[in-house]
Amino acid sequence: MRIVVCVKQVGVLGDEVEFSDDGRSIDPEFLDFALNEWDWYATEEALRLREARGGEVVVATVGEERADSALRRCLAMGADRAVRIWHGGLDAQDPISIAHALAQIVEEEGPDLALCGVQASDTLDAATGAALAGLLGWPVVTVVTGLTCDPTSGTVAIRRELEGGLIEVVTASTPAVLTIQTGINEPRYATLRAIKQAEQKPLAVREIDQIEQAGAVIKTMYIPERSEHAEMLGGSPPEVARLIADIVKQRVG
Amino acid sequence: MMAVGGILVVAEQAGGELREATREVVSAAAALGDSLGGPVTVAVIGQDVDSLGLAANLEGVDEVLLVSTSSSEFESDTWRQVCGAMIAGRRPAVVLAPHSVNAVAWAPAIAAEYGFGFTSDVVSFRADEDHLVAVREPFAGKVRVDVGFPEQATSILLLRSGIWPAAKAPGSALVSAFDVTVDASRVRTRHEGFEEVPPGGPDLAKAPFILSIGRGIEDKDNVQLFADLADKFGAVLGSSRPLVDAGWLESSRQVGQSGAVVKPQVYLAFGISGSTEHLAGMRQSGLIIAVNTDARAPIFNVAHFGVVADAMQVAEELNDLL
Amino acid sequence: MSVLAAAETRASFQYLAGWEVALFYILIAPTLAVFGLGVWTLVRKYLEGRGATRLDRSARRVWSTITTIAAHMGIGRGDLGVGIGHLAVFYGFIVLFALSLILMVNDDVTRLLFHWQFFRAQFYLGFSLVGDLFGVALLGGLAFMIVRRAILRPRRLDYARRDGFGSAYGRTRYVVGDWLFLGWLFLLGAGGLALEGLRIAATNPAFEKWSPAGWVIAQAFRAAGLEGAAVRVPQHVLWWIHAGAALAFVAAIPFTKALHMLTAPAALTVKDEYAGKRLLPVPAQATAEEVGYSLIGDLSPVHLLDLDACTKCGRCHEACPATASGYPLSPRDLVLDLREYAEGSRGIRAAMHVRPLYASAKSVLGDPIHAETIWSCTACLSCVEVCPNGIEHVSMINAFRRRLVETGDLDTQLQSTLQRIADSGNSLGEARRKRARWTQDISPPPKDIRREPAEYLWFVGDYASFDERVQDSTRDLARVLQAAEVDFGILFEAEKTAGCDVRRVGEEGLWLTLAEENIAAMGACEFETLLTSDPHSYHTLRNEYPELGVEWSVLHHTELLLRLIRAGRLRPRRTLSYRATYHDPCMLGRYNSLYDPPRQLLAELGVELVEMPRNREDSFCCGAGGGLIWQKDTDRAGLPRASEQRIAEAVQVGPLDVFVVACPKDLKMYEDALKTSGHEGEFVIREISEIVAEAVG
Repeated sequence: MRIVVCVKQVGVLGDEVEFSDDGRSIDPEFLDFALNEWDWYATEEALRLREARGGEVVVATVGEERADSALRRCLAMGADRAVRIWHGGLDAQDPISIAHALAQIVEEEGPDLALCGVQASDTLDAATGAALAGLLGWPVVTVVTGLTCDPTSGTVAIRRELEGGLIEVVTASTPAVLTIQTGINEPRYATLRAIKQAEQKPLAVREIDQIEQAGAVIKTMYIPERSEHAEMLGGSPPEVARLIADIVKQRVG
Repeated sequence: MMAVGGILVVAEQAGGELREATREVVSAAAALGDSLGGPVTVAVIGQDVDSLGLAANLEGVDEVLLVSTSSSEFESDTWRQVCGAMIAGRRPAVVLAPHSVNAVAWAPAIAAEYGFGFTSDVVSFRADEDHLVAVREPFAGKVRVDVGFPEQATSILLLRSGIWPAAKAPGSALVSAFDVTVDASRVRTRHEGFEEVPPGGPDLAKAPFILSIGRGIEDKDNVQLFADLADKFGAVLGSSRPLVDAGWLESSRQVGQSGAVVKPQVYLAFGISGSTEHLAGMRQSGLIIAVNTDARAPIFNVAHFGVVADAMQVAEELNDLL
Repeated sequence: MSVLAAAETRASFQYLAGWEVALFYILIAPTLAVFGLGVWTLVRKYLEGRGATRLDRSARRVWSTITTIAAHMGIGRGDLGVGIGHLAVFYGFIVLFALSLILMVNDDVTRLLFHWQFFRAQFYLGFSLVGDLFGVALLGGLAFMIVRRAILRPRRLDYARRDGFGSAYGRTRYVVGDWLFLGWLFLLGAGGLALEGLRIAATNPAFEKWSPAGWVIAQAFRAAGLEGAAVRVPQHVLWWIHAGAALAFVAAIPFTKALHMLTAPAALTVKDEYAGKRLLPVPAQATAEEVGYSLIGDLSPVHLLDLDACTKCGRCHEACPATASGYPLSPRDLVLDLREYAEGSRGIRAAMHVRPLYASAKSVLGDPIHAETIWSCTACLSCVEVCPNGIEHVSMINAFRRRLVETGDLDTQLQSTLQRIADSGNSLGEARRKRARWTQDISPPPKDIRREPAEYLWFVGDYASFDERVQDSTRDLARVLQAAEVDFGILFEAEKTAGCDVRRVGEEGLWLTLAEENIAAMGACEFETLLTSDPHSYHTLRNEYPELGVEWSVLHHTELLLRLIRAGRLRPRRTLSYRATYHDPCMLGRYNSLYDPPRQLLAELGVELVEMPRNREDSFCCGAGGGLIWQKDTDRAGLPRASEQRIAEAVQVGPLDVFVVACPKDLKMYEDALKTSGHEGEFVIREISEIVAEAVG
């Protein structure tokens, strides 16, 4: 079976921020970059499926050259191939636009499953996976916390997590898009040596055929004014502990 | 396809009851309807839709649509077809739904398929000269963005829970059925059932005092200190999601959107940065005190008192004090 | 005169029948055969290892071994009694052995071939005197060892495991073996002396006063009525006992503690002088099974030899900070566990089917070597430093770590720390941009060496850049350098952690990546010398980055500050009349032998330095190295942390004003320990830059 895992290299923001010239995104100087946390779990899940059933795991991402390092991480974990797709005119902050680009790759690859993380820790849309399914005309199951695959019958047995911790059991037929939730497994550690060796594995770069309309366009990005903020307590740990204990006591009696 | 007007709310149910999140979306829809104009319609989808339809008849709602399907529970393919048909038939300007586990399984799909406008996890919106502008908070709320939508197309917005007030009953809406023929051959997922929730475990929802821990406690072995501290306070020990994912605590302890939504009198948060998911679960607590080493942690936006310090150090001091 | 001269000799094999002499010589053959078979089995065990045999520059190595052993520096270290005692046993044994050989040459070579016996007259007298003196020394040394073991019972010789794990083999076998060895040698020595006494007692020739000990014993025998012909039977019997025991001793060398007589010099000869300090790179194309150690056969021949060189002296066990603070690691037990595994799978015990037996094809990781043991090491190098036999514990541990990392067997916190380092170049989870935040209070700001050339590139280090407390010392150093008008610059955000501890943790690939990135960043700058205030960075920049082709000179800030003060470029405005103690950081001290500059620097400032008992090479690690600072405290059986024990040691030194450190991790560890050990307020912890800054004003 073939599984495509759609991953993202996300930006991690510290406590300083400046915006790009057009005021619609963060100046990359202020970001550190890392593989999206959900995508560790999705990649690991794909590798486990391959270990159980055989086949191929392909990781794909929409991003500039910098995103190659995220792909290499996944290759180092054990994925077989990687594909990166990009276009300078792409609105990288819109999930529908991203989904269009991913659909181009998934259609080429023709996998049995496309796995995405539930969401990316920077944009927090939680929409790319389902949007991809919409474009492909595939079923989608979101927030998956457990899955077993039966390639012969072409179905997947899934556990998904609803609000309040309720677990729903769902069956889906392949090909399908699944969005994977954290905690579904324990992702393996990819040593840097493995990452270096992964440089031997194929990483193809594609250009997007056509830029489609975005679902939404960012007009401006700004730092929110916080009308509400906690009253900060200062002092050494023993002093602070005293303050906390007093405040709680006042409230609880 | 061009939108005509009006606001369509797609309702959600849990356990046969209309979800609180939907009530919040309805009041948001009513407010939006005031600025954009156009009727507010609420669609309930499911098997036994009559009672749901009654529940959906809230203040501000002009019309309730009953859509009968073969399953009482959510099914992504069914809802994609149904909502697609409703939007094609009604051509609303805006479609609203909660930002929920199920909504993200149909709304982005049809938005992509049909070229609708789309955004999720919206915290507020406004109409700028008839143009809808939605506001969201990427990067864990450290920044905000104003987003605009394609002209003349329907736009689907998923709204964050816990921001808008719940609409009150009763309303004076017109109730009617909306017939959709669902192509069963294109329904490729099936709801099999729910898992039994194991009995026992802490009752977070009812606890008057919760002491929660997050990644800032750094080591599994430190959990015991906080468990002891919780005991001394007479509090129930809670947790943010990452600790449950890592297996340091059982999932019954998880506070958050995907765990327990709580409203205790006192909520003490140690080493929790305050992801949206977690904040949604506890922001309505009576007194929130947060301890975190990151002065910009989002939890300080909802806490009443904050301490920038190492969770372990403060906890050890508290432990000695009590 | 001539009668006397001719008489000054003794006949070998007196009273033995011809067949008895023949039998003795014949018995040498099986003795040597058994000895040889044993040695061969062991050598084969070593050669089945994988990797370095290390016989380069063999002449120099052999000479170094000879001088080391001759002086007994390692054995006498810290324990003069044992040093002298073993010296006596060692030289006693060697000299007596040599004398036997000389006698054999006389009897079997020169007499037979050249009809010349030199074993008489002055030669004989000198020979006898020397023999007796060394014989007594041997017995004296052995007696001391016996008293030490039986009565003094030092803790070091308590073989009880302190790592909380049991073992498949009992330690009683070790204790019995030790006593057998001691006792056997003692009886050989005493028997030889008794034989001499009996021989002399027979005829009591006056010249035999040149064998003083034998003479005294002979007089005692004579007084008891053993003289003349009465001596023969006891002498005959005792001779065969002594001969048999001697042959048995030789044959049994490979099977008993006596083996250390061969393996210890051998291990010293093949020792890597940079063991643990300069770790060897992993070849880029190595497969997972070729990285590090998992099977016993993965160990290099040198390490397999090391296992047999261990005499269970317990020095490493005593010196190890992990052992002392309750971690499940004892370097001694690690070596012994591996020894038993090697022996029970491929050694003499395996050949003889003596339990416990082990499977070569099974990994030693998990059982008997636990991952927690391997992860408890701070890489402080005390064990390697203090081992008299050249065992490379830290290299072995590092090799096991490499395999554990390769297979992902590391705790999630360590995993996420390594991931954070890979993503943002520092271990503290901070944004890259925050690295130079500490410079905001420095006016004028330090030069950006990416843009302008400078004489010194100051490589600041993670903790010195990001940690609030350590930033105080970093700022002080910056101000001091500016006051001395030193031309320096820093890399700002382009600096990444130098990777020393990443390498010690076994994540070779990450170390390599960091090194390449740092080298690229520094290579683009113009400077003459690398300066660093962080000993971990110092060590890897100076010793390990050169393997990637760079040739910078690296200076520690104490070296530079000392030069500046002596050159008058830094003028102390006040004399600091502190009473202080200085803690040698592992990475500066044992790793790089940099002990004096910090001390001289303090002396220049007028500080009164008192040394803690464990100083210089014996300095006691703060417990943060080897990646331990990235792991939280585990259950340590209620023992105080290493840093707390060190503070207690400082307290013992008497009233102190300052505990001086030269390492950012030490600063953090000891400030914490000062509080947690309840000594807060008695003295303060200061990094040396802070002291200099205070003096300079």
